[in-house]
Amino acid sequence: MPATLTARKPHQIAVVDNDLCDECGLCMPLCPPEAIHMTRKGLLVDKEACTGCVKCIAPCPVGALAMVDG
Amino acid sequence: MRHVDILVVGGGPAGCVAAWEAAVADKGLDVLLIERDRAIGAPVRCAEGVGSKGLREFLDPDGASWVARKISKVIFWAPDDTEVNVGGGDVGYILDRTRFEPALADEARRAGAEVEIRTEALNMARENGGWRVRLAGPRGEIDVLAKVVIGADGVEGMVGRWAGLDTRVPSRDMESCAQYIVSNIAFDPDAIYLHFADRWAPGGYAWIFPRGEGVANIGLGMIALKSDGRNAREYLDGYIKRYFPDGTVTGLTVGGVIVATTVKRTVTDGVILAGDAAHMINPLSGGGIVNAMKAGRLAARHAAAAVCAGDTAAERLQRYHDEWMALLGDDHLKYYRIKDALSRLDDGFYNGLARTVNGIPLEKRTLGRIFAHALINHPMLLPVAARFFV
Repeated sequence: MPATLTARKPHQIAVVDNDLCDECGLCMPLCPPEAIHMTRKGLLVDKEACTGCVKCIAPCPVGALAMVDG
Repeated sequence: MRHVDILVVGGGPAGCVAAWEAAVADKGLDVLLIERDRAIGAPVRCAEGVGSKGLREFLDPDGASWVARKISKVIFWAPDDTEVNVGGGDVGYILDRTRFEPALADEARRAGAEVEIRTEALNMARENGGWRVRLAGPRGEIDVLAKVVIGADGVEGMVGRWAGLDTRVPSRDMESCAQYIVSNIAFDPDAIYLHFADRWAPGGYAWIFPRGEGVANIGLGMIALKSDGRNAREYLDGYIKRYFPDGTVTGLTVGGVIVATTVKRTVTDGVILAGDAAHMINPLSGGGIVNAMKAGRLAARHAAAAVCAGDTAAERLQRYHDEWMALLGDDHLKYYRIKDALSRLDDGFYNGLARTVNGIPLEKRTLGRIFAHALINHPMLLPVAARFFV
């Protein structure tokens, strides 16, 4: 994506709904930049590292991941 | 700072056996096993089925408290619900993993390993030829300097990442799984059922694994890329509604099963990965418990030998990788190709195969014969078979 376009329209990023998430960790190895971390407050997506590739979204067995504007 | 010879991260089958075997390998070694959760064996993220032969290499299941059910039959359901019975006899066991892993951890303790629960690795860095690992436990944070770290930390493992090993998985190789415990249902409690159908579990299968009479683990694994938009839990809800509408549903479990081949590098300086963390699951069946235990045993032996020799470099630990590949890893490359070929076949193929196999007398139904019939009906499998059997 050209830099100008990126600047004008920030890409979407993944977020975890920690109420739905069962902390199985399935999404972690699916993330190309390894942006998903298991913390004591549950799973967390590193906003800076997430590229918005959506590879983590559909495989979540309980639909706990969604894309939002970054 | 505390010093240990071998730090095992993760108290599943791979980690418990690794700690056990490391302590057995050399009584003089300081072996520490850490488990993040409150108890070894919980939460269960598994269908809990295990083959008899592999299990018996480690523990004796006869009369054991950690056995939920002995299995003597395998029943396949084709997409059109045609039922095919295969095999028989000493097939395997359904475990109670809340008791099974504690039994393994007890063996590790008795052999001299230390086991700490509610203790998590936060990060690690190379130091003095070993690894300084920051641990967070009930008494706060401490640093441990370990000569070798065995990463048995599962699908979500971090040890590999921290050590610079690539443990990422493409979406096509990740089975999204969901499972309920369902009671008050009618089925043969001596059999496991495997149900293949794109509409119920695309790219995977649904299973019924008995926990006792009238109660079973019912679940499925599917590939999200092949989904109609529903997630695994929604697929499972549809399945239960269709096949067990009157069952009492409790205990949702979800998780990922990596149906790939072993990661290219399972070792680096002072680090060995074992079990799910190294993608050592059978990619055709999705089974990983016995594989994890075998890998844990190998990892421990190589780690112990490396520590005793004073050489924990990647070049030496590579022997673990090579031995694993010869033991099971190379087979997984073949299973992966079969999985790949099967994934291109549609429901009609499985329906036809089921009817053909039902024409073979029960006592002559071996997997080899079934595969032979599959080949006759579908020559496109031939190149795969050639690679598999040559």
